[in-house]
Amino acid sequence: MLNAQESTITTAASAACWACSAQLEAAALFCAQCGKIQPPSGGNFFAVFELVPRLNLDLGMLEHQFHRLSRKLHPDRFARASAEEKEWSLAQSSLLNDAYRTLKDPLARTYYLLKLNGAEIGEEFAGRNRPENEMGTSRVPADLLEEVFELNMQLEEMRMGRKMGEVDEQLQSDLKQAEKKFLGLEDEVDEKLHAEWTNWDEAAESGDETARDAAQKSMIALLDRRRYLSNLVRDVTETLGE
Amino acid sequence: MAYSDKVVDHYNNPRNVGTLDKGSAEVGTGLVGAPECGDVMRLQIRVNPETQVIEEAKFKTFGCGSAIASSSLATEWIKGRKVEEALAIKNTDIVKELSLPPVKIHCSVLAEDAIRAAIGDWKKKNGVAETAEAVAVTAAH
Repeated sequence: MLNAQESTITTAASAACWACSAQLEAAALFCAQCGKIQPPSGGNFFAVFELVPRLNLDLGMLEHQFHRLSRKLHPDRFARASAEEKEWSLAQSSLLNDAYRTLKDPLARTYYLLKLNGAEIGEEFAGRNRPENEMGTSRVPADLLEEVFELNMQLEEMRMGRKMGEVDEQLQSDLKQAEKKFLGLEDEVDEKLHAEWTNWDEAAESGDETARDAAQKSMIALLDRRRYLSNLVRDVTETLGE
Repeated sequence: MAYSDKVVDHYNNPRNVGTLDKGSAEVGTGLVGAPECGDVMRLQIRVNPETQVIEEAKFKTFGCGSAIASSSLATEWIKGRKVEEALAIKNTDIVKELSLPPVKIHCSVLAEDAIRAAIGDWKKKNGVAETAEAVAVTAAH
């Protein structure tokens, strides 16, 4: 009997079912041959759903697959299974949930796919591994920083006024205005992001690496901007709710 | 996550918050940001043209407690130093002083970036060459 340790070493596409030795698809939850649960193989989230990594996803299909696989992984079905199989079904269940949560969310999916392709984005990469000659420069374009700084200043002024007990209608409407503006800017970013999704998917389909890298680069810049904007939206919404 | 006492102190009593006249030739402004967390930090210095000493340093940071503390500490440290001495400050010095946890190291990097950006801006305004070696070479000619 294979233990979990060994099975993670023998992953990749050439993995075989522990029960019937049939060849397994990458990240397969079950053996296609004998239907037995498989140990988690460390495959990516797209493979869990038997999908190729793409940004434009059929969300209805994703949800349908999620429910189908969730049912197959239900603990009741493993009541009489071996301890190992029970453990695997729990592990696969948690992987399935992570994968679903990540892929159904447009931003999370974009981050995930870009990281899968080697992009160093997300908080765990903040400020890491920066060459000495890039110190004092910023990945964020100067005009975006200026704009974000200015918006933050305006927002702070409004919040200060609020704290000082100024509950005049002007302030309230300024805040509402600001919220509307930030949300509008977010929508603009999302629209551009969706256009890049299509560019990326098409480039991945045709194997055009130059086009794929270009789409990737522009998505990273859009996600940077998106992060600043969502912070502003969060702050303004918080202020309005105070 | 618990902040160290020093971070809390800087957060509650930030030193040198404010603005200097961006248009002045003696003032250098650095505006930097960490897109990963949405922080934005502005650090300004006023340099004495005779002595090259940073006589005033101001900052304004929108971000987490560690980012505010890092920039507050940075202004404290560069004040009274000569420009070239201020460039010797490393983000790791800030990490040590504030006992920043690994996930907050990027806040100190941002502060070092801000110092360099502010000094870079001041140098550009005053036609000072980028590195100490370059200064020596220009002086020799």
